[in-house]
Amino acid sequence: MQRFEYPTDRETANAARARALESLLIEKGVITSETVDKIMSIFATEMGPFNGAKLVARAWVDPAFKMLLAENTMAAVEKMNFVTKGAGAEGEHMRAAINTPEVHNLIICTLCSCYPWPVLGLPPYWYKDPSFRARAAREPRKVLSEFGLDIDPGKEIKTWDSSAQIRWFVVPERPAGTDGFTEEQLAALVTPESMMGVSMVKPPAR
Amino acid sequence: MQTNFEHFALGSMLGKPDMPPKDNGSLRFGAPWQRQAFGMALGLSKQGVFEWDDFRSEMIASIVAWEAVHETSDPSWDYYEIWLTVLERMVQRSGIIGHPNDASF
Repeated sequence: MQRFEYPTDRETANAARARALESLLIEKGVITSETVDKIMSIFATEMGPFNGAKLVARAWVDPAFKMLLAENTMAAVEKMNFVTKGAGAEGEHMRAAINTPEVHNLIICTLCSCYPWPVLGLPPYWYKDPSFRARAAREPRKVLSEFGLDIDPGKEIKTWDSSAQIRWFVVPERPAGTDGFTEEQLAALVTPESMMGVSMVKPPAR
Repeated sequence: MQTNFEHFALGSMLGKPDMPPKDNGSLRFGAPWQRQAFGMALGLSKQGVFEWDDFRSEMIASIVAWEAVHETSDPSWDYYEIWLTVLERMVQRSGIIGHPNDASF
């Protein structure tokens, strides 16, 4: 019995501790009741893979938008009414690399680990790994196959190296079995990995 | 490179032992108090109540200490409980809320 009650008690205790600390900090005038929400809104609503997913879904249903995304990525991002509009921190000069039946794109950053946060959210831990960065530039096909992504030998793989000036993201190919899907339904299929070029967007589960 | 504090703070933890749980490119919180503790730590550091690097050193030291006495698979592991404990410690140490033995804390 004790064993089953323990986690609940612990949760309750932790929640009470966090509440007490916040109340105390507010009382002392160190923070306000809005501080946490303000900080967290940056992660929860302003930047994240949901933004990138919306861009991709729009590109899938609207060829003109797809073309604009390829040619003038920032103008396309502006049209989406994201909270950050892609501007500011690490999202200022984003560029989209569009996957086609002939070309598969992969984004890396060999110099540091620049990443288009506003559209992709948090990079996975391996993105910062120096050996991933070096190998992805040198032997992308092999690295992708280690990710479980075997690219057809006839397909070209292009790697795009992000920098402080340009942050790349990939517009993956629309999966089969999605005819008649709404943008919202399509966006739900798009993963951050697919927008890095290390996976494909999988057809919807049936 | 342009960056803001929130990006810097999270970016500095990527691939390190104190990286918070993630899910599909977003932070993952199991309960509202975890988000509250996370947001408070960033907010306080952003205001200069403590240095982000110092907070992280405490996090890493606490994680190492936990791992020294627990199995890696121990289900009692709770990242944000450690986070909350470190946060309380950093706040106490900063002196902004008065003496640690103050009745209000």
